[in-house]
Amino acid sequence: MKLYLYCLAEGVDRLDKASRGVSGAAVRVIKIDDFSVLVSAYGGDVSAALNKNALAHNAVVRSVFTQTTPLPFRFGTLVEEEQLRSYVKTHRQALKNRLAHVRGCAEMNLRLIGPRKNAPPAPERAQPLGPGTKFLLDKRRELCGEEWRVEQTGELSTWLADKLGDLIRDEKIHLVPAESVLLAKVDHLVDRVNIPQYREKMAKAIAERPELRFMVSGPWPPYSFANIELEFSRQFGVI
Amino acid sequence: MSDFDQMIVGEEWESTDLSLLETLDHVLNRGLVIAGEITISVADIDLIFVGLNVMVSSVETAKDVLRKHETTE
Repeated sequence: MKLYLYCLAEGVDRLDKASRGVSGAAVRVIKIDDFSVLVSAYGGDVSAALNKNALAHNAVVRSVFTQTTPLPFRFGTLVEEEQLRSYVKTHRQALKNRLAHVRGCAEMNLRLIGPRKNAPPAPERAQPLGPGTKFLLDKRRELCGEEWRVEQTGELSTWLADKLGDLIRDEKIHLVPAESVLLAKVDHLVDRVNIPQYREKMAKAIAERPELRFMVSGPWPPYSFANIELEFSRQFGVI
Repeated sequence: MSDFDQMIVGEEWESTDLSLLETLDHVLNRGLVIAGEITISVADIDLIFVGLNVMVSSVETAKDVLRKHETTE
């Protein structure tokens, strides 16, 4: 039988109370070396009633988040128990490093939208474009877009570092492609004890940028800082 | 009710809708992945992304963003 995975943590020997997860299945703890993995038996269709199951997944992760900082698995992860044991043993050191990285922390999310600076002029379309011209224009737009993305990410990161200082333990910035507006998603890893201070400083920073609209949410379990595969890929330039 | 806090600057939003969108964004798009073991395919992930990206904007800006996003796909 397959197991549905919720999160991986250290030092969780049992659940505080009987917990129901995806598809109403009972959640239990599997110990593998130093790790505790929260799982439930796979029964039914995970993708059915998506909202309900997604909320159940998050609720189980949050129940552990009250005790410690876990690495949440992505929704919909189903494996055989043997496969899970093999994965944990194979990635033991990377998982330990990742748990150490998020220990004592929570994730805060910031989303902002506003007018895009240095937006390129709208292309003139008086005459139909040939395939060569279209290709070159698309290429130019792609290159300009990448330059803009790097510049804006740097600018945003510098501004946030100035406003939040050493409250940020880790940061991920994702700019969404759009020609005339700036859309950004920022994930911050913050020590739990510093969250009130983070909120306070963020509120002050937001007040200084009336041209932008913001949404801040958190604290979350560190969903955005859990994936060791992505970290590996990034380090080696695969993505 | 939500078990996390939201601070929204700009416009009023239904907090229950935001909570659901936020939760979906986290559990569907983020988290530890065991390669090849995600068993569900959620066709509307992009819609959720876009929904989250525009929810702090006005309706008009949101429409503009969605249109631009579609043309860049």
